[in-house]
Amino acid sequence: MQRARGLWVIYVSLAIAMTTMLLPLQLEWRFLRPDIVALTLFYWALALPHRVGVATAFTVGLAQDLIEGAPLGLSSLGLMIATLLLLLNYQRIRQFDALQQSLMMLFLMMLSSAIEMWLRSAINFPVQSWSVMLGLVLSVALWVPLRHLLRSVRRYYEVY
Amino acid sequence: MLAVVCLSGLFFFREHPRVIAAQASVVDTVAFTSDLILTPVDAWHRMVAGLKSRRELQEEVLRLQQENRVLKGQSQRLASLLSENARYKALLKSAREIEDDLIAAQITALSPDPARHIVTIDKGAADGVTEGQPVLGEEGLVGQVILAGDYNSRAVLITDSAHALPVQVNRSGLRAIAEGSGSVDRLVIRHLPATTDIRVGDLLVTSGLGGRFPHGYPVARVTAVDISEGDAFALVSAAPSSLLDRGRYVLIVQRVLTDSMSIR
Repeated sequence: MQRARGLWVIYVSLAIAMTTMLLPLQLEWRFLRPDIVALTLFYWALALPHRVGVATAFTVGLAQDLIEGAPLGLSSLGLMIATLLLLLNYQRIRQFDALQQSLMMLFLMMLSSAIEMWLRSAINFPVQSWSVMLGLVLSVALWVPLRHLLRSVRRYYEVY
Repeated sequence: MLAVVCLSGLFFFREHPRVIAAQASVVDTVAFTSDLILTPVDAWHRMVAGLKSRRELQEEVLRLQQENRVLKGQSQRLASLLSENARYKALLKSAREIEDDLIAAQITALSPDPARHIVTIDKGAADGVTEGQPVLGEEGLVGQVILAGDYNSRAVLITDSAHALPVQVNRSGLRAIAEGSGSVDRLVIRHLPATTDIRVGDLLVTSGLGGRFPHGYPVARVTAVDISEGDAFALVSAAPSSLLDRGRYVLIVQRVLTDSMSIR
C-alpha cells in the first residue's frame, strides 16, 4: 500500500465546506442551505475509499454538531451509515453517469438526514420538517460542479 | 463501535459536564469564523451608512433627541416608584429584592440547524454572561442564554420548539406556560380550560415563577383563542412582542440580589 499523500487537502476542503454552514440566511429559509459538507465527504469517500471512511464521517458529524450546538453524535450516525453504503458500492457508483450519481447522492443524503430525524425524535430534540428534503434536492444540483472542483484539486495536489 | 459511541453519547452523555464544556469551548471559534465570513458584508453596510446624507443624519439626531426626552420624562417617576415599591416590600417582609442589571449586546449569527431558533450573541463569560440569563429585545423578552463562551454566547429564542416559559395574563393575572411553536411569530399555550378568561389582544408577561425569568417583562400578545366544540382545553396562540427575526440589538439581564432596605 502506498503512503498517504496530501491528506491535509482532504481535511482543509472539509473545513472549508463547514464554513458554508455559517453563511447567514434568513431564519425561515435556513432549510434551503445546501449540504456541502456531506457532498464533500461523499466525494472523498468515493475517490479515495482507503483514506476517507466511516471514522472520517464520524469526525465530520461531530464537528457539525459542535458548530450547530446540537447534542454530540446527532448527525454522525447518519453520515456514518451513508458513507458505509457508499464504501460498499464505490466501484459501481464510480461508473454511474452524472445523473445517476446525483440521484445516488440524493439518496445517501436523504438517508442520513432521515436517520438524524429519527434520532432527534428519539431524544426529544426539535425535529426538522420535511422541507429539509427540499434543501437536499437543491444541494444535489451542486454535486456535478463540486465533483469537478474537488477532482481538479485532488489532481493538482496529487492527493492519494 | 463508533455507532455505539454515537448512540451512547446521545442517550447517556448529552448533559455530561465535559460535553457541555466542549460545546462551550467552540462557541467562540465558531462565532469568530462567522464574523470573518461576514467581514465583507459588514464593510459594505458601513460604506452605505457612511454615504448617508448630512440632512438624513440631522433628522435622525433630532428624532432620537425627542425620543430621549420623552423617555427621560417617563422615567422621572420611576425612581420614586421604585423606592415606594421597595418600602412596601419591606413592609411585607420580603427581605431581598432582585434588581436587574442589563448588558447591551448584539446578535451576530443564527444557528445553521433549521429546526432550532438559536442565535449567537457577542457577549460572553468575560462580560458576566452565564447560562440561564434572560435576553430582552426592544419590545419584550426574546430568549435565554443556553451556552456561554468566553467572548460570545448562544441564546435560544422563546419560539424554539424546545422552549417553554411561565407567563401571566397581564389583565387577569392568570398563569400559564407559553411554548415555542418552531415558527418565529407564534407561541402556543395548551392545557388551559376552555372556560378560562383569556381574550384576543391580552398581553402576556413573564410571571417570575420558576425563578429563571424576572417578573413583569412583556412576552407576547394573544392572537387567537381556539376552542373546538366539546374540547376541554383551549388552544391559545400569541405573537411575540419583539420581532424575533428582525432585531439585532438585545439586552442580557443579570440579576443582582440587593437588600430591599437600601433605597437608591
